[in-house]
Amino acid sequence: MPLVLDEALPLLPRLRRHARLLCGDHARADDLLQDTLERAARKGALFHADPGPTRQDALRNWLLTLMHRLYLNQRRDAREALHDSLDEDDTSQPLIEEPQQRVALRLDLERALAALPPAAREILLLVCVEELSYQDAAHVLDVPVGTVMSRLSRARERLRLSMDGAAPGRAPLRVVK
Amino acid sequence: MTPDDIDFDESTLHAYVDGQLPPERAARVADWLLRHPRAAQQVLGWREQRESLKALHREWLDEPVPPSLTAALRPAPNEAAQAANAPRFPRAWAAATLLAVGLGAGAAGGWGGHAWWYAKQETAMTAAAEAAARAAGRDPSIPEYVRDAAIAHAVYQPEKRHPVEVGADQSDHLIQWLSKRLGHPLYVPVLRDYGWKLVGGRLLPAGDDATVGATVGAALARAQFMYENEAGERFTLYVSTGASSPEAPVAFRLMRRVEAGQTTRSLYWIDGRLAYALSGGFDEQRLRVLADLVHARIGMIARASSSATPSPTPSPAPSP
Repeated sequence: MPLVLDEALPLLPRLRRHARLLCGDHARADDLLQDTLERAARKGALFHADPGPTRQDALRNWLLTLMHRLYLNQRRDAREALHDSLDEDDTSQPLIEEPQQRVALRLDLERALAALPPAAREILLLVCVEELSYQDAAHVLDVPVGTVMSRLSRARERLRLSMDGAAPGRAPLRVVK
Repeated sequence: MTPDDIDFDESTLHAYVDGQLPPERAARVADWLLRHPRAAQQVLGWREQRESLKALHREWLDEPVPPSLTAALRPAPNEAAQAANAPRFPRAWAAATLLAVGLGAGAAGGWGGHAWWYAKQETAMTAAAEAAARAAGRDPSIPEYVRDAAIAHAVYQPEKRHPVEVGADQSDHLIQWLSKRLGHPLYVPVLRDYGWKLVGGRLLPAGDDATVGATVGAALARAQFMYENEAGERFTLYVSTGASSPEAPVAFRLMRRVEAGQTTRSLYWIDGRLAYALSGGFDEQRLRVLADLVHARIGMIARASSSATPSPTPSPAPSP
């Protein structure tokens, strides 16, 4: 059964967050999502999945596949146009009032994530944030499952190291009273 | 039944963290981790990382999607005409999907919301947890957080240099911080008169908890407090939120683990929204005395603080 575009609507908030975490930049993320959805609208007839509970997962995976393919193309283009223009952005998000600790931790995590090589960020987002199976993540990224595993292992280690490195710069514990 | 001598490789441990193992194998890894604190610490770190990534910018999911994006889903008019020739998906079915999805969004938030997705996952998780429990010869009625508590106890109790994240010298800060992270005021009893001094506490990630009421909105954070006596013996008090299941035990229940000659007993109970597990390497009687004490003291502080300074409503009571 091919795609009915309304089916994708409930997935949009999630895909939008995914794109933002992937790009580290809101405007670019929306561009990426827009390209993804336009492509989906054009290729909708290519999507086939049986109705039922797995259909929504299949649709999400298909849209993620389109998005990551476009993201890969962008990186290729960018690399040709200018060396390494991908991680330069340092977008600061408006802070909502949150306990200091949590803000510090989140900023660290966000920065550390943004500073990872794109391939590492992709795998962490797909496996940890979207909770895809290794098999599905392999499919989205068009790589063997073994590559997913090795990338994931390396990505976790890199993220851990950069978080540990960030720790001394973190705001000191505040003593209350 | 479970061979003790095999070691699990790193990719198996990753798969364990990511929930990619069949229940029986996951249960074997969990048991193995209890006897391998170093690996357990690494696994807890990965899990913590995973949970904080999962929680990253959850608030973005509530933002309305701009019309320009939803419009991108509509094909241009001439393409729509072409598409009309393609086999059509029945409109009514699509409407029904959207309706179901919309209801899910209201109930669950999160993933743009699908009730079925949560329902499916919850059933699967509960089934998996119970299967895992049975496979490991455990009582599936023991909440998963109690196992997490036992693992956390096994990991941090022997720690010489960094047993806690924040020391008791900053106990006010510690309690306030962990209360904020768990989203519920925590009460940490002073047991100095009984020979136990607070070492400090730490923040821990919640596991995929299918057995404790399966509350989707439960906090991701857990707290562990450690106490020590003159003899260097330690026990830990582990606190989890969102655990108010209707069949909550009002009395203490005991879980006992014997691994490599080391016995860790956990007494656990639920008090309102908070679920506690007290773990130590003591005999049952001693642990019961301690649990009684801790439980009673927590009740006393809770009552005192709710009459003195209720945190949700502003009150004129100034702190000295």
